[in-house]
Amino acid sequence: MTLEGRGLVCRYGPTRALDGVDVSVRGGETLAVFGPNGAGKTTLLKVLGGERTPDRGRVLFGGAPVPGAGREWRAQSGLVSHRTGLYPRLTVLENLRFFAGLRGLAPDRRSLAEALSRVGAAETAHRQVRLLSRGQRQRVALARLLLHDPRAVFLDEPFTGLDPTGVAALDAALRELASQGRVVVLTTHDVVRGLALAERFVVLRNGRAALAGVADPERADRVLASFGAAADARVAA
Amino acid sequence: MNALRAAWLFALKDLRTEFRSGGRLVAMGAFVVLAAFLFAVSLDRTQVPGRSAAAGLLWIVILFAATTGAGRAFDAEDEDGAFRHVLVSPVPRGAVFAGKTAANWVLASIATVLAFFAVTAFLGVRTAGPLAWHGAVLLPGTIGLAAVGTFFGRVSSHSGLGDSLLPVLSFPLLVPVVFFGSTASARVFLGRPWSEIAGPARLLWAFALGALAAGAVLFRHTADE
Repeated sequence: MTLEGRGLVCRYGPTRALDGVDVSVRGGETLAVFGPNGAGKTTLLKVLGGERTPDRGRVLFGGAPVPGAGREWRAQSGLVSHRTGLYPRLTVLENLRFFAGLRGLAPDRRSLAEALSRVGAAETAHRQVRLLSRGQRQRVALARLLLHDPRAVFLDEPFTGLDPTGVAALDAALRELASQGRVVVLTTHDVVRGLALAERFVVLRNGRAALAGVADPERADRVLASFGAAADARVAA
Repeated sequence: MNALRAAWLFALKDLRTEFRSGGRLVAMGAFVVLAAFLFAVSLDRTQVPGRSAAAGLLWIVILFAATTGAGRAFDAEDEDGAFRHVLVSPVPRGAVFAGKTAANWVLASIATVLAFFAVTAFLGVRTAGPLAWHGAVLLPGTIGLAAVGTFFGRVSSHSGLGDSLLPVLSFPLLVPVVFFGSTASARVFLGRPWSEIAGPARLLWAFALGALAAGAVLFRHTADE
């Protein structure tokens, strides 16, 4: 199944966050979305994930139109963001049960434990989220994603604030998600890591696709250069 | 997704979170006691008999306490971006509104019970009518307050202006609740027959049901992009 965005336009007031963006990502593939702050990365993720209806353009999955901000599409997709989206005062199990319940699922203790084990967070089950490290929280967020077995996964700056162990664990989890045939779309400022993880990439600048192609970590400088003036200093450094 | 089950999950989650942290309850409780005390000492009892003033003071204290609680209803949702993850699930937005309103109503009810005893104690007033009739008036009133507070609590938390916007938006709409609520409560305090209380009580129910229905329909406009 291929996820496509065609001619996507999104406005926030007078600002065009997306200005005619075309993207395509096949099942089993990861698409990395790069760009400077304010380029439209998160908006693109929101549109593809059904969080926001585009002002113009269409999102298609398997050739069929995905209704904008539709419940059916949201039921099939999953999100991991740099903010873990967990309730700090609830325990890990309470969080997982709550979010599974919102998707109409009632997982038993065994399947919850299994999801936590898969991401290496089994020991956190009964602890309140506020007592967990950033890396542990992100693993729990991944376990939440696994509970409803989404067909498309959207990751919004998931590496932000993770230590090297957390990054490695997330790396492995993302590779596994894609290897199971899911569509994976990832936004990140870490161009080298994004290119290593993804099969394809797109660079957004001012809401437009400035560069797109097959991901190759050796071409990180060229990708960075396409960010525009803001990135020139980083490339030079 | 069953909307009732989703609403139940939300209410349960909110109450669990609240009873664990206690922040909102403590703030509302402290506000109720202090406001009732200050109102009571500011009244010239030689000019205004306590029983005449009790109903009005009670409803003003409840209004402010409920607004204080509703203003923080979305704090936990925004703390680590949890609300975005709620919105990417297929849960009906009306169910989110209903669940959060139910949790706000429970907290407002606790504040209301406390307010009732604080106001009557500080004013030295005894109600001539039965307590159950006070309950019959306060129940629809607090439902209306919770529904309006939840809706505009989301609007104000989303606006970036925070709690300061909530009273500006909600108080004009809540004038009927305070008016009919204090009218009905005053009659209960004075021991009037139920036939004189039923009218404003019915209007409070009409307001509560209208606020619930409007909130459930309109909430998605405050939640979705």
